[in-house]
Amino acid sequence: MWEAVFVLTYAAVVMGYTAWNIKKGSFVIDPSQLILFSILGAIVIIAILTMASGDFFGAAEPILKLGAAALLFAGIPPMLAAGVGYIRFGEEYGPNIFYARNHITGVIDTVASLVMIFVGILIYRLDLAAVGFFFFLLIPFTGNALANAYYYSYQRRLGK
Amino acid sequence: MIDLAFLNLMAESAFFWAAFLFMVASAFTGIAALRLSLKGEAVTSLMAISSFTTIAGVSLFLISLPELFNVGFARDTAIALLVIGSIGTIIFARLFRTGD
Repeated sequence: MWEAVFVLTYAAVVMGYTAWNIKKGSFVIDPSQLILFSILGAIVIIAILTMASGDFFGAAEPILKLGAAALLFAGIPPMLAAGVGYIRFGEEYGPNIFYARNHITGVIDTVASLVMIFVGILIYRLDLAAVGFFFFLLIPFTGNALANAYYYSYQRRLGK
Repeated sequence: MIDLAFLNLMAESAFFWAAFLFMVASAFTGIAALRLSLKGEAVTSLMAISSFTTIAGVSLFLISLPELFNVGFARDTAIALLVIGSIGTIIFARLFRTGD
């Protein structure tokens, strides 16, 4: 019972905060400060729990796993927004709508790779983090290649 | 001395539901990408399928985690999809660019 209430509250807070950032169009709290205070808060909580229980790894694991859960919850609103964008931006916006869709693809790729990297680090699965990092390196090349392909194929169609 | 079992239980539950809901959101985006790939022209289809392989790869990697469903072989499929999918997209985009 209590864990369900906790999960619902945690999901609502994290997803609400992420959706608020997306709605505003910029960061509500500067990410450098947010990440710094999150890391400091996690260190303080882990230190308190370690002193109270006498088990460092037993105290660190659930806190890091809660951080990984927060990252996964934070990835849900941009994923849903990307899906809505794919459906919403149809052909009626003209030929240049491809570039908006390419941007949506970049959002999906970035969310996926960042989730893989940081969740992999936080739950000690370094293979997940390594594949996510490799994929993160390939994202700009993919986006650039797709935009180039569309531009030149469109120019060829205009020339015919 | 305090008992960390309750905290562990809450962390496991939060992680499970976070990953599960992330996979559901990814599935919704994947369906939207499939719809786009069937409607659009060649380069748009390539782009949509590229994002679909990304979504499928991440979902499969999450499925392979022991904290979730522990399907071990999904990890290899996910790595293949993520790496070869991106490289294939770049190669096919290059082909579309030159028009060969």
